[in-house]
Amino acid sequence: MSAGAAPITVPPIDLDAAITASFWGRAIRDTFRNVGACIGLVWIVLLIIVAVLTPLLANTEPLIVKVNGKISWPMLRYLTPTDVILFILAAAVLIAAAFRRVSMGRRAMAVGAVLLITIPLAYIFVHPPVTVDWQEYRDLARAGRIQYELMAPLPYSANDYQRDDPSQVLQPPSRAHPLGTEANGGDVLSRMIHATRIALSIGLVSTGIAVIIGVAIGGLMGYFVGRIDILGMRLIEIFEAIPTLFLLITFVAFFGRSLMLIMVIIGLTTWTLEARFIRAEFLRLRKQDFVQAAIAGGLPLRSILFRHLLPNGIAPILVTSSFSIASAILLETYLSFLGLGPVDAPSWGQMLNQLLGVAGTFVWWIAIYPGLAIFLTVFAYNLLGEALRDALDPKLSR
Amino acid sequence: MGAYILRRLLLMFPTLIGVTLVTFLVMICSPGGLRSVIVSHEGLMDPRQRAAVEKYYSKKYGLDKPLPVQYLLWLNKVSFVGVKDAGAGWPASWRFGFKPVDLGESIVHHRPVLDMVEEALPITLLLNGITFPIMMGISLWTGIKAAQHRGGVGDVVGGSLFLGLWSIPQVWAGVLLVGYLANRNFLHWFPASGLHDLRDEEMNFLPARLVVGFHCGWLLDTCWHLVLPVVCFMYAGFAFSSKLTRTATLENMAADFVRTARAKGVSERQVLYRHVLRNSLLPLITYSATIIPGLIGGAIIVESIFGIPGMGKLGVDAVFDKDKEMVLSTTLVATVLTLVSYLLGDIAYAIADPRVSFEAEGT
Repeated sequence: MSAGAAPITVPPIDLDAAITASFWGRAIRDTFRNVGACIGLVWIVLLIIVAVLTPLLANTEPLIVKVNGKISWPMLRYLTPTDVILFILAAAVLIAAAFRRVSMGRRAMAVGAVLLITIPLAYIFVHPPVTVDWQEYRDLARAGRIQYELMAPLPYSANDYQRDDPSQVLQPPSRAHPLGTEANGGDVLSRMIHATRIALSIGLVSTGIAVIIGVAIGGLMGYFVGRIDILGMRLIEIFEAIPTLFLLITFVAFFGRSLMLIMVIIGLTTWTLEARFIRAEFLRLRKQDFVQAAIAGGLPLRSILFRHLLPNGIAPILVTSSFSIASAILLETYLSFLGLGPVDAPSWGQMLNQLLGVAGTFVWWIAIYPGLAIFLTVFAYNLLGEALRDALDPKLSR
Repeated sequence: MGAYILRRLLLMFPTLIGVTLVTFLVMICSPGGLRSVIVSHEGLMDPRQRAAVEKYYSKKYGLDKPLPVQYLLWLNKVSFVGVKDAGAGWPASWRFGFKPVDLGESIVHHRPVLDMVEEALPITLLLNGITFPIMMGISLWTGIKAAQHRGGVGDVVGGSLFLGLWSIPQVWAGVLLVGYLANRNFLHWFPASGLHDLRDEEMNFLPARLVVGFHCGWLLDTCWHLVLPVVCFMYAGFAFSSKLTRTATLENMAADFVRTARAKGVSERQVLYRHVLRNSLLPLITYSATIIPGLIGGAIIVESIFGIPGMGKLGVDAVFDKDKEMVLSTTLVATVLTLVSYLLGDIAYAIADPRVSFEAEGT
């Protein structure tokens, strides 16, 4: 032993914090060490940006226009409540992300509070005109009465159908229409940009519903084994036995075709996978010592379920929900493709519908671009799911 | 084995009842319920017609009775065992036994739904029956090859390729296949729609060389029409099951019994096909039972794209026509098909793995 050895000091470690931080830290690090997951995330972030900025990217109404010496802001006048809510939400998230020193939970709560205040206010105060004259500024420009105007990069809204102008219908990609136009004279790129909102929201909302139902039922089954488990298993079997697409079109046939309804229905019909996973996790966890100790210690049921079991059993749900989002987007695409999707909303699948059947004409720009967008989005979520699964459960990554 | 199958069959009944309950609830909870058929295929019905349809539904489903009774009445109609010709005098004049299934009547086509299902069902079954073995065969082969050459170029490229294939939406693949391979403007190699040529009635069954030239015959013609739908049907499931085979094969290759077999000098071929393959089949059987609903649901898409008059197309057309009994019946038939395929899957599993029994499940 050398005489000059300094006394070793062990800094006190907050063991609990170290363990939890390292689990999620490791999971996130391992996930994004995977190239595929990074590509998937980049695509999804891009979609989110596009979805938030939709009215600024593709809009028939100019942002600023000067007619006969008067300056006006038509784009602002035509903003919908959804646009406003998304803008404010995005701003809130960005501001919250800047405050690094405040804890994650508080920042999330602040964003949630902003959202809760914004939604009613936006619906009370924002009233875009019901009927839109798409030709208004186009005619003015043609008449040469516009002194100055600032347009969006793509000067066509999604529902700006120029049916009456034969030179605008089913045009191949050109400088004016980068991805061509569809059968009603709408701009394909603009419709694709507006459809990102539906794709993202369908995935998130329906999977959220599926996760809530699945965790509730699966968790109860896994914790109270026995009769409840058997009953729940029969319920899962019933829902798995009905082919999802058949159940969906049945729902749509009987209840109509609104976007919210379709989201809810997809959630209601796809919760079984989540339930199975959470049940398996809870079955495994409830035999472990810390849960047995919690039960023996007489902790209330809600503490056992929500503080001991749920945080430890939620990880596999992350993986499943990533795949569920992908399949929800696919289901919406299929519905829209069959002509049973949300009414009057631009969606990727609905454009493919134009190519269907005897009446449809095959034009390659409608076939390729919206399909590619669906494929890339589904692929991105699947890549994320694969990477998450490999990171969370090294046993499975073979 | 026999006991296992019997118990498995009995377990199917609660599920079946539950499925009918779910379908019935959807029907009842819908706005207006069953009675609300106001729009017909062509538009608004005239009041007399509407009154007639409403009367038909009221009489048939007992809409003036409480909900549980309505459900039981409906259940009795769609099942193949039940009360025959229920008279007024209860229960003396009721006779239980086998009875013809009554799925209702299509308002648009003015035909019994059962007849239409009987026409459409074989087509969907044919499509599934052709797709399924091809898919499983290819995925077994590629999965085993990938496992044999684990980490090789083929394995890695194949792995990413399969995830990509799996993510391609069926609608996109179908539209592109039809657009590029069955379109006069591009490659007109395959017929674009339908299951037979328009002149299939005057065709011979087998291909033949006639005076006028080569005659392709009914069989070849049908196969030709089936190529694109089957490809469109197959690629996604094939990608997934191939991945699954690979995982299972790898797992078994590392098992002790394989090492023992190798140590005692069994040839590599024998090891693979006698020891590894049989065990790798088990997860594949489980999986293949679970993709059947996907295949039956996928029939909706494929049949719509390729204009094939199967169950899926029947269902979608019925939704457009607001033909409620038809919609419900197609869903019900699709569900029964799924249940039967689950049953077959479990039986196949029990045959492949003699250890399976209900006693073992609980432990």
